[in-house]
Amino acid sequence: MSAGIEVTETPAIEVEGLCKRYGDFEAVHGLHFRVAPGEVVGLLGPNAAGKTTTMRMLTGFIPPSDGRVLIAGHDVLTDPLGARAAVGYLPESPPLYPEMTVRAYVSFVASIKDVPRRERADAVERAIARCGLSEVSRRVIGQLSKGYRQRVGLAQAIVHEPEVLVLDEPTVGLDPIQIREIRGLIAELASPEHGRGRQSVILSTHILNEVEAICQRVMMIHHGRMVIDQPLAELTAGGQRLEEVFAHITSRDDAPSPVDAEASP
Amino acid sequence: MRHVAAIAGREFRSFFVSPVAFVVLTLWSVLAGTFFLSTLFDFQQRVLLAQQFQQVDQLAQMNLNDSLVSPFLGAMWFVMLFLLPAVTMGLFANDKANGTDELLLTSPLTVWEIVFGKFAAAAGFALVMVAIAAFYPGLLFYFGEPDVGKTLAGLLGLMLVSFAYVAVGAFASSLTQNQLIAFIVGLVLILVMGVMLPFLVDIAFSGAGVPAADAIGGLMRWVATGYHFEHLISGEIDTADLAYFVVAIGVFLTLSKAVVESSRWR
Repeated sequence: MSAGIEVTETPAIEVEGLCKRYGDFEAVHGLHFRVAPGEVVGLLGPNAAGKTTTMRMLTGFIPPSDGRVLIAGHDVLTDPLGARAAVGYLPESPPLYPEMTVRAYVSFVASIKDVPRRERADAVERAIARCGLSEVSRRVIGQLSKGYRQRVGLAQAIVHEPEVLVLDEPTVGLDPIQIREIRGLIAELASPEHGRGRQSVILSTHILNEVEAICQRVMMIHHGRMVIDQPLAELTAGGQRLEEVFAHITSRDDAPSPVDAEASP
Repeated sequence: MRHVAAIAGREFRSFFVSPVAFVVLTLWSVLAGTFFLSTLFDFQQRVLLAQQFQQVDQLAQMNLNDSLVSPFLGAMWFVMLFLLPAVTMGLFANDKANGTDELLLTSPLTVWEIVFGKFAAAAGFALVMVAIAAFYPGLLFYFGEPDVGKTLAGLLGLMLVSFAYVAVGAFASSLTQNQLIAFIVGLVLILVMGVMLPFLVDIAFSGAGVPAADAIGGLMRWVATGYHFEHLISGEIDTADLAYFVVAIGVFLTLSKAVVESSRWR
């Protein structure tokens, strides 16, 4: 799998010169990247590196201060509704209504995400089944365990079969078995066997072996700048472990990395 | 519009899984019954007195609408001032506390659709309250002959006033993620708009003499919901009053929309 630059089809995500400033503080600075359809990209970085800010700009939750974001060809600023329709988003804490049942909630999300009425019941059932929620579909979300809530959050993100899935720390707080299940599901969504067009996934995490388990490509952000954007295979080719790369980069504070220049398209 | 219905439906159903809705509806029903009975007995007493003292003029002036329906609806309006903020307090605050605002704002929805949906849900709840209150004047039609038009105008007034307060409460809810703060801010705004302004007008008039005071006083009186509601419960349907409610709802929904939108920029 290449870094996605030479792909001819519309990139699932195309980001140019993305910046986010809060007053004098620059949370994200000059990000450039593309994600091809079906690609699973891990967004790495220490806490407060700008991962969540970047994801919020991709999903249209906050507008960028500068730069451009295209989701499946829709600009988040000039065609916000088109861009948002093409994204499924699982924020850091799943956005759930605790008083609703799982099915009612997923069905509500399907209706605000423009799933046509005729297909809605099927789409809801499919999302529930794929996230392993069939047994609890009539239960009230507030009574579910954390692992199940996380799955409901994931069901909500995939119910409209979006081109792009943005997952902010999807496995945080889950037990090892649940983590494995969620990872399996993410991998399945992007796989060619998955019927309705492959979904691109961009997920943030600071669990390094998560990236090694499911991502084809690694982007590392540090102090709001992209310091690495490489296929995983290349990065670990020299027998180097991801953890070493990560530690190496985060230890050199502030200095712009030499990798930066190479990696930017 | 599909989105508005989806949001309104979800929000409306969520009222009925929270205890607040049942507390509000119970209080509302109990107070409606109490006020209706007390105005009814008061009316009966006055009729008896007038009959005893042969005050034919007074007796001729008495009717079910002016002496019973209007005071009853006035009392219910007063109850509404306190109960509606409890209905609207969660509209936006709840989403911010749950993190579901992130879901709504990253869905292909316009902010207007979100605001209208929330407003429609709470307005629907207010309509349930008006329908419960309407039951009591409805009883009078079985036993007597109140004026249909006047009664309906009064109910229309109660409905419009409740919609305006729902818009105010929605705005209060958009400002915070804390429901208690949303309730208090909503209550204060509604009290100022509904009840306090006429007092402020009186204070302004007591200063007297200054021509500007009259103009301001007139404006304040116009801004107060009570002034327009009184016209409606006395059976006068004036387009100026209807326009007032439309403007009030429009202003507060626009403010809510601006606040919700601004959350993107913070």
